[in-house]
Amino acid sequence: MAIITTHNLSKVYNPETVPVHALRDVNLEFEEGEFTTVRGPSGSGKTTLLNMIGGLDTPSDGYVEVDGTRITGMKDRELIDFRLNHIGFVFQAYNLIPVFTAYENVSFIMLLQKWDKQKMKERAEELLTAVGLKGKFDSRPKQLSGGEQQRVAVARALASRPKFILADEPTANLDTDSAMNLLDMMEKMNKEENVTFIFSTHDQRVIDRARRVITMVDGAIHKDEKKYPPLKGG
Amino acid sequence: MKMLLSISWRNIWRHPARSGVLMGAIIAGIWAGILVSALTNGWIQQRFNNLIQEEITHAQVHHPEFLTEREALMYVDDAHEIFSFLDGDERVKAYAGRTLSDGMIQSPLTSSGVQIRGVDPDRERNTTTFHENVVDGEYLDSDIRNPILLGEKLTEKLNVDIGNRVVLTFQDMNNELTSASFNISGIFRTASTPYDERNVFVKAEDLQELLGDDIYHEVAIMLYDENLVDGVTEDLNESFDHIVAESWYELSPELRYITDMGGNLIVYIMGVIMLALAFGILNTMLMAIFERMKELGMLLAIGMSKLRVFLMIMLESVILTLSGAVVGLILTYFTVNYLGDKGIDLRSMGGESMAQFGFDAIVYPVAFMNDYITTIILVVVTALLAAIYPAIKALRLKPGEVVRE
Ligand SMILES: Nc1ncnc2c1ncn2[C@@H]1O[C@H](COP(=O)(O)OP(=O)(O)O)[C@@H](O)[C@H]1O
Ligand SMILES: [Mg+2]
Repeated sequence: MAIITTHNLSKVYNPETVPVHALRDVNLEFEEGEFTTVRGPSGSGKTTLLNMIGGLDTPSDGYVEVDGTRITGMKDRELIDFRLNHIGFVFQAYNLIPVFTAYENVSFIMLLQKWDKQKMKERAEELLTAVGLKGKFDSRPKQLSGGEQQRVAVARALASRPKFILADEPTANLDTDSAMNLLDMMEKMNKEENVTFIFSTHDQRVIDRARRVITMVDGAIHKDEKKYPPLKGG
Repeated sequence: MKMLLSISWRNIWRHPARSGVLMGAIIAGIWAGILVSALTNGWIQQRFNNLIQEEITHAQVHHPEFLTEREALMYVDDAHEIFSFLDGDERVKAYAGRTLSDGMIQSPLTSSGVQIRGVDPDRERNTTTFHENVVDGEYLDSDIRNPILLGEKLTEKLNVDIGNRVVLTFQDMNNELTSASFNISGIFRTASTPYDERNVFVKAEDLQELLGDDIYHEVAIMLYDENLVDGVTEDLNESFDHIVAESWYELSPELRYITDMGGNLIVYIMGVIMLALAFGILNTMLMAIFERMKELGMLLAIGMSKLRVFLMIMLESVILTLSGAVVGLILTYFTVNYLGDKGIDLRSMGGESMAQFGFDAIVYPVAFMNDYITTIILVVVTALLAAIYPAIKALRLKPGEVVRE
């Protein structure tokens, strides 16, 4: 069964003045365990799509279902709660709380979820170690490289045990090595924890790592390709 | 909650200079505000003590018309029965009868109008602290005949000194003018120069002899507990006819007014100061929100509730303001205590003229626990009010838009 379904999803910005059709009739399904990228030129609607799926923005038409729950139309408060407990987010930048250490950034979301102290500590350490940041638990974001920061963000996104992780151009600010490292790590988590990843990018090397590639043009789904078996690292 | 506290506290120190400037302003504001209030309260309390302890006492008994007419014939009926009544009342610490008359004082050089206060030196000494104002010579209990105590200012005006002779002239019980010479036994100085110029002290018995009868015009009563004064005056008024017993605040309403005002002074002063500081807090918090839009959007996006974000901003404002306030209060506490011991000599700032209004030249600031608590409450309320607008601004953020790069 699909964990995410979009039904005739459309988004028009500024409908009254200069209408921008950011999404046009998008119908997609995502299965558990997917490792999927949304590609497309800048302005094609990638961020808008991910924001709709993540409940950060409301569609002009259509709706989104997660695990059979219709999130479109939920009250603000319910939606925040839903995001906290079901979705992990990784953004291009400003992912971390600058005054918190790597460890605190990862624990933060579990604190919001009211985890048991001991379990929280174990999971935060386990995740930071898994993303290759053992020894940097107490570093603040400023003391970490861009790649390291994004890895903390992925660890944070995983910490809350979400159904899926949405990553909007997570590698956009990274050099190639760091980008590939991050992808390695995401792939590993995808396999080990069976976490669904949906990430957007316009970087071909990143696209090559995905097992499903959705191509967007002008707010519409242009192509939706599944690669079995995955091209690399499978 | 612990997490919110920790995040708020650390956020404050992201801009040490900006937070520091605001804290500095809060420290200065609190220091100045409490000190001004403490000085004023010190003044008021000294003035209150001067008047109550030296002369007015907690309650007085008069002939009903004496205070307005001031005639020799309007004496307290059955003064000795009132004395025995007071002797048997355990609320009463001490009392003293006073024989009063208006008249003239004459020296070889000049003359002056005065109020003649005939006192019983032993009783007066137990009841009031007036004898502490003697700066030269002795109080009335010296051996010389017809001793008189004069204010320093009056001795200058009359150009007389201890041992000199002055003549008092006043109306006796039969409305006849009578004169007698008195020997200056001592000189006093109170905080009020006009008082020193207008009042002279003699022994009640000497004055009674000249007036022609063993009478008292005033009974001054000091209690163990000032708060019991209403009960004592009530009992006196019920037990005796042809007299009125009044409390200090009935005798001197303006004294009560300034005492009451002194109690609320901290609210007025700190209120104005905090109003000014509120704009500083508002500005600092707005800056803190605007530069952190993306971060706040991220927090809302990953699932931090709006309530928590709101609390975080409120806490940040309160912690920032309170940190300054705590430093300010500690600093103020030590300043007030130090000056409370040592006093501030206002003469060096032209305070000599203050004596004209009955204030001491050296003021000892007084601040109560209540003043500090009131200040803290005002600080917290201001911090909360000033942060509401910035916090609401943060809640209006649409995470979907803010997280866009
Ligand atoms: N808040 C907005 N108001 C108006 N237009 C917007 C807004 N956000 C995005 N758009 C427009 O919607 C389209 C899709 O944007 P976006 O989803 O960010 O594309 P991508 O992430 O693929 O670059 C673009 O044309 C963009 O200019
Ligand atoms: Mg985008």
